[in-house]
Amino acid sequence: MNATVETAVKRKDPMNATVEAEIKMKAEPTLSPAIRTVNLNFYYGAFQGLKGVNLDIAEHQVTAFIGPSGCGKSTLLRTLNRMYSLYPGQRAEGEINFYGQNILDPKQDLNLLRARIGMVFQKPTPFPMSIYDNIAFGVRLYENLPRAEMNDRVEWALRKAAIWDEVKDKLGQSGLSLSGGQQQRLCIARSVAVKPSVLLLDEPTSALDPISTAKVEELVNELKTEYTVAIVTHNMQQAARVSDFTAYMYLGEMIEFGKTDEIFIKPKKKATEDYITGRFG
Amino acid sequence: MDDSLYQRRKRTNQIGLTLSMLAMVLGMTVLLWILALLFYKGFAAFSWTFFTASTPAPGSEGGGLANAIVGSLMLVGMCTLVSTPIGVLAGVYLAEYGDQSPIAGLTRFVSDIMLSAPSIVIGLFVYAILVAQVKHFSGWAGMIALSLIAIPVVVRTTENILRLVPGSLREAAFALGAPRWKVATMVTLRAAKAGVITGVLLSLARISGETAPLLFTALNNQFFSTDMNKPLANLPVVIFQFALSPYDNWINLAWGGALLITLVVLLINIVTRIFFREKVSA
Amino acid sequence: MENAAQTPPMMDTSLQNERLLAIARSQRVQDFIFHKVTLVFAMTVLVALIGIIVSLIINAWPTLEKFGLKFFYTVEWDIINEEFGAAIAIFGTLASATIALIIAVPLSFGIALFLTETCPLWLRKPLGTAVELLAAVPSIIYGMFGLFIFAPLFAQYGQPALQSTLGQMPLIGQFFGGAMNGIGILAAGLILSIMILPFIASVMRDVFEIVPPILRESAYGLGCTTWEVVRNIVLPYTKTGVIGGIMLGLGRALGETMAVTFVIGNSQRIGASLFSPGSSIASTLANEFGEADNLHLSSLFALGLVLFVITFLVLAAAKLLLIRLERGQGSRT
Repeated sequence: MNATVETAVKRKDPMNATVEAEIKMKAEPTLSPAIRTVNLNFYYGAFQGLKGVNLDIAEHQVTAFIGPSGCGKSTLLRTLNRMYSLYPGQRAEGEINFYGQNILDPKQDLNLLRARIGMVFQKPTPFPMSIYDNIAFGVRLYENLPRAEMNDRVEWALRKAAIWDEVKDKLGQSGLSLSGGQQQRLCIARSVAVKPSVLLLDEPTSALDPISTAKVEELVNELKTEYTVAIVTHNMQQAARVSDFTAYMYLGEMIEFGKTDEIFIKPKKKATEDYITGRFG
Repeated sequence: MDDSLYQRRKRTNQIGLTLSMLAMVLGMTVLLWILALLFYKGFAAFSWTFFTASTPAPGSEGGGLANAIVGSLMLVGMCTLVSTPIGVLAGVYLAEYGDQSPIAGLTRFVSDIMLSAPSIVIGLFVYAILVAQVKHFSGWAGMIALSLIAIPVVVRTTENILRLVPGSLREAAFALGAPRWKVATMVTLRAAKAGVITGVLLSLARISGETAPLLFTALNNQFFSTDMNKPLANLPVVIFQFALSPYDNWINLAWGGALLITLVVLLINIVTRIFFREKVSA
Repeated sequence: MENAAQTPPMMDTSLQNERLLAIARSQRVQDFIFHKVTLVFAMTVLVALIGIIVSLIINAWPTLEKFGLKFFYTVEWDIINEEFGAAIAIFGTLASATIALIIAVPLSFGIALFLTETCPLWLRKPLGTAVELLAAVPSIIYGMFGLFIFAPLFAQYGQPALQSTLGQMPLIGQFFGGAMNGIGILAAGLILSIMILPFIASVMRDVFEIVPPILRESAYGLGCTTWEVVRNIVLPYTKTGVIGGIMLGLGRALGETMAVTFVIGNSQRIGASLFSPGSSIASTLANEFGEADNLHLSSLFALGLVLFVITFLVLAAAKLLLIRLERGQGSRT
């Protein structure tokens, strides 16, 4: 069973691994948290989905949430931009500190918060409008850019999401005309375009084929130089490949949290080890 | 195994299924008979003057339904212009805020009832609040009565369609920091466009054939008029009056008018089916 | 990636940026306005309902005040002497709608059963669509058909046949006697039944289709015949939905104007026979409203009020049943 751990680590692309190592060396001395949750509890009506979660999401790092289905990893992600507030009956208690501000404060403006903390979903969600407008939609919400600058911004965002070359000749076409993998990168570009400081990715590759998945993973590595990234994944290899920190969750509790290398090679808790080696879950 | 019991069960089954097939045959026969007769009698009335001349005087020959066709188009057109924005926005309210507000629950319930409420009572209502006050029948009154019938149709189809839009699409728009009104109008409503258009078209089909509410509102006008402030000729009321008259020419024109309305209603229904199915599968 | 350098990310981690806060504030105002505007539009439906009830009561008041409860059960409808009672119109409305249901419900059940159980698959879609399309045909068509085609045939063949069979039976015989001119309450009921047939059939077919295939299959697995499956599984499972659909049909039949006015005979007298002409509330309104004034007009409004209340109750009951069905569906899954 230990072989699984080794393959998980071995599978890491050596190129990326070195890049990551470099970045980590640079970043480590200034590992300040972008988001810190303190004793976070979450309820769906009477059901408690998160139990006392304490977690630091480091700035300009990729943090992965792993765990079996229903463990609360997506729930945790959805508290970070308060997406749950759309639904009556769901509520969070405790504290989520985003650069010094408790975003669970009822007075917090949610639209503004979500503009600073972007999110990409499991399934691609292109809006029913042109590729160009898909990107421009979010930008126009908070910035009044002249035409030329808007064009630059759209191009910039599409380049960031490594999809510019594929769509540059058909910006006027509907976003729905793209393939699944392209749609998902379009959605990443859309989130990037509004220049948030944190990006939340909720199983962004679960609906994609392996090639598109590889592209999106590459993208995540690129993005962390400028953004703080939190990613939910049910694919442990993916967590090992893309993340700097990993949180293992089970039944709404944070079982173990630490540097990805340490969690995958030498987990401190037996439960984590069982899950990672495939003995459970 | 008890053979006689099995035989009896089998016989009951056969009788039941045969009766059900007979019901189908009987129902379809009668309904198709009606349609066939309508086409037979209606097409006989179609002619150039049917579409170009106004309604003839009692007992005279010739004439057509031009004034009634134009009047109906005006009534239905105006009604669509009024009821679409009201119905769509009300539907948006029910879909967006409907889970939290008791008013929404009540509105939904009342709309469902108004969908099948007796249309003649709506005519009475508009007569009481408008015609009786200004002391004359008018196209406007007819338009209001038809709108009151069309709005619940648009409200309910809009809400149902909006609720079919995947939640992740709405969440994606919210995740960009979009305010609710932009999410609702620029993303959700846009994604549900085909369905909303279907709802509007169905409401149009529904009001095209409504006669009762126009009797006390738009009434009728034997001359060609496009003045919405005066009594306005319209197909359903003309058909009603002509069909109950003793003049053969009028009765023939009534058949022609009835076929015209039915063709329009069936056409709208068929078009929405094809249109909507394509959009949904795409 | 050259372009990337031109516009570096904002990297503004603060939620306190003044410019953004101002935008967020104006968005909140926009959302508030949007909420209220859509609310107002949603309220139009409620306002219309309240308006209908209030205006009917106000206009019906002189009649209700003068005749009181007597209005609802007396049969006088004397325009010249201004004596008004609603009993005949109420009777005509209820009788024609009841006849329509008695005929349309079994036929609709048969059609729905055929469409969901025995119909060959390739024919299901076109036949189902045809039934739905027929439900959209304007009701005035049924009225014209009734007056010009059905009534003469009914007078010549239908009524004599009924009189020589049902008319000879004790007790119910008196309902099928008298003058046979093809129009009357029975004719109105028959035309109404044709009109609501496609409507009830398509609702029934829809509710039959919500029966989970697993239920059906396990009954067939026990060796049930198709008839037994429908009788013992499908019908009990969809009971509320079926009743809701029937009551929606009843609501339509009660309030229908055109299909009835053409064939009911429009007489304000009452005969023992269902062959005799009568009138329904809607047909009385359609016929007399144009020439009415004063107390006569007020009495017509009172009739309208009665009709609205009856249909409202029927439709509300239907709706509640259908809502209960949906809830049941939800809790089962």
